[in-house]
Amino acid sequence: MKITGYAITLYEFPLNRRMGDANSPSGRIRGASNVLELFTDEGITGVSFGGGGAGPQIKSMVEGMLMGEDPRRVTGLWKRMVDRAFKAGHDGVVNDAIAVLDVALWDIKAKANDEPLWKTLGGSNPKVHAYASGLDSPLSDDDIEDWYGMMASDWGFKGGKLKVGLDQDADLRRIGRMKKGLERATDKPLLYIDANEVWNPKMAIRKVREMEEQFDIAWVEEPARRWDFLGLRRISDQIKAPVCAGENLDSLGDFLPYFHNRSADVVQVSHGMTGITCALQLADAAYGFELPITLGGSPGNMNAQLAPSIPNFLTLEAQNAEPDDGVMTSDIKIVDGWAICGDQPGTGVSFDPEALAQKKVEKVSASAGPSPFGRRPGSGLWDNPPSQEEAAAAATGVNGEHFVPAHGSKTQ
Amino acid sequence: MKITGYRLEKFTQQLDRAIGDSNYPAGDDLMDMAILWIDTDEGITGMAPAGNDAIASLFHVIEGKDPRGVVGLWKDMVDWVHKGNNEGAVNDAIAAIDVALWDLKAKIADEPLWQTLGAREGRAKAYASDIGYNLSDEELHAFYTSMADHGVDGGKIKVGLNMDDDLRRIGIMRDAFRKVKDRPYLMIDSNEYWSPKQAIRYINQIEEHFEIFWAEEPARRWDFDGLRQVSRNVSAAVASGENLNDIGQMYPLISQQAIDVANVGVGHSGITGARQVSNMCYAYEIPVTMMNCSANFMSHLAAALPNHNMMEVVDPGREGAFESWDNHIEDGWIVMGNKPGLGIEVSEEKLKAMQAVDFGRKPGFPFPRREGAGLWIKDIEPGEVSWK
Repeated sequence: MKITGYAITLYEFPLNRRMGDANSPSGRIRGASNVLELFTDEGITGVSFGGGGAGPQIKSMVEGMLMGEDPRRVTGLWKRMVDRAFKAGHDGVVNDAIAVLDVALWDIKAKANDEPLWKTLGGSNPKVHAYASGLDSPLSDDDIEDWYGMMASDWGFKGGKLKVGLDQDADLRRIGRMKKGLERATDKPLLYIDANEVWNPKMAIRKVREMEEQFDIAWVEEPARRWDFLGLRRISDQIKAPVCAGENLDSLGDFLPYFHNRSADVVQVSHGMTGITCALQLADAAYGFELPITLGGSPGNMNAQLAPSIPNFLTLEAQNAEPDDGVMTSDIKIVDGWAICGDQPGTGVSFDPEALAQKKVEKVSASAGPSPFGRRPGSGLWDNPPSQEEAAAAATGVNGEHFVPAHGSKTQ
Repeated sequence: MKITGYRLEKFTQQLDRAIGDSNYPAGDDLMDMAILWIDTDEGITGMAPAGNDAIASLFHVIEGKDPRGVVGLWKDMVDWVHKGNNEGAVNDAIAAIDVALWDLKAKIADEPLWQTLGAREGRAKAYASDIGYNLSDEELHAFYTSMADHGVDGGKIKVGLNMDDDLRRIGIMRDAFRKVKDRPYLMIDSNEYWSPKQAIRYINQIEEHFEIFWAEEPARRWDFDGLRQVSRNVSAAVASGENLNDIGQMYPLISQQAIDVANVGVGHSGITGARQVSNMCYAYEIPVTMMNCSANFMSHLAAALPNHNMMEVVDPGREGAFESWDNHIEDGWIVMGNKPGLGIEVSEEKLKAMQAVDFGRKPGFPFPRREGAGLWIKDIEPGEVSWK
């Protein structure tokens, strides 16, 4: 089997709720994604989502080293791509390109075997623990309880992750509302919080300790900068909740300081992190350190396919129970709070060609951004709660105006 | 597809030559071996050139399951043995089952295992290893020369009991490989015979004469402090790990930077376990070297590892029960073919013939620890080996 070519298609869609985090509490109302198709001479096509800004890098990788190669030899091809990006490092858009290509290669490998990816990877049980993640900074308190309540009652989720960090009183209130919503499914919900690097270590320690007087926090995510292994470790030493970190790191090597200094209690592997090949390496390394692995949000919850072959797998982030963009289809079903991988060959995440053609764009519009969010002024320095304008924009929901926060213009 | 049954055959292999190390320099030319087959309801059978009676106590964990779920089944087995842990005979049994399941997985996909594991090419760099303290100077020369003739550019030699003998024998090894490489890779292996300080003194003396690529097991397998101490006091890399059972046991060696090269192998709880250890080493920028095995079957995994250095090839003749195996040494690399799975074909006739032989004694391998180990050095006694 040989790789013969590729196609990338950018598309845009309205979100089902306004999504944002501590860096952008007004959030955004539209989303954008990218479909990569990797073609072979045997008619099998690998499909993967992401890498929207990495078109030139994808072209260079495919034309420079993947054409004519057997896609089933994916870990070797991964190494070649990583080695090709050697000098500048496999970071940034190059990393996005490698990740999206790696997923497409694994999709082909599983399809060539006529089996779902979880089976190709050696998994024996397709049932994957999952939690609901609202990306919910723009939601009102009532909407928080409604959304987690819906995820609990309609889909059975028993854990939720709240975006926090800008306003301690609001966060304390909103954790309680998330808890109340999740109590529709369980009397002991798992309460995760995520500060997206908006604090410094001491801010994190003070705020999380105060939260822990009222709530049993199942983890606090990114309570300090991604590279600050000393700060993350200090936080972990001074709070009860596990520190979860890693989603913005790019490669196995980036995790060495975390491992060596026990900076993260839960290792978070994100979808764009050099693909499935790297995620499995990370999972093995974390297993050696007795550290659990959590998989971040992914298109159609595709990351669930990896979990059955990860020996120390903890839980999967689900930002939606099923695809909501009108283009994507997913064979991963949420049942009673678990993500269940199906039997469809490959990743099980694909697309409707007609819908894709309708939603195709040449360029992502401003209202689908800012994505990813820029860093908020004051992060790690002082409190910068949502402005009146941001709060007003957030309150308009998905039918309102897109609001671009004036990043960089605020002062203390 | 479901796992339906298994078959285990044990036999004693007459080797082409005796193998011996610092613990038992006289060596032995008999080895107890086994072959495991795992059957499925679709007529495909996986095999492993390994196995023991502990498989009987584990088989129920995988019975009726889809063999393609090998990584999950590995975890199920490891969890099943939780209290007594993944050690000893149980560890060997889990490893054998794991290998047979990977063979099955590749055969189901109708491809060589190296491709199932994602390798781009079915090849792994090789080095020659004597396991031959019993071999005379002439026999050593012949062994390393035969490997050099296949393009192999480095070798490992058993050492530890007598400095003069060791220096002479390392020189023989070096000279044999010089036809391939001016500065061949020279490795020494003392099989845990020394204390850390003995190792430091001994290796430093050797390093006055030779550039040593790595020194293997210069201290006890679990002594991460001692191994680290040795590494900080010699120029050679310290290699260790082959006698540990799994990633948990490797943890201190890796996290304390006690080793510079990790010996990985099927003994790390199968292909699944060896891959875990290798990936953990990859995070620490520690290269791995695959341990020797019959028919070099672990080269399939070696080919797929991003941080694999070179694989140990001994070739003492452990393949008596096989009709064929699908690899050969070429230009210094183990080159695998495209036969599905491990690529090993068993000969029932040869197996039966071997099982019929009564050697009248038990093999001496695996060797017990030699007197004086870690305390004083008990020199090779006159007559203990043919060459002294």
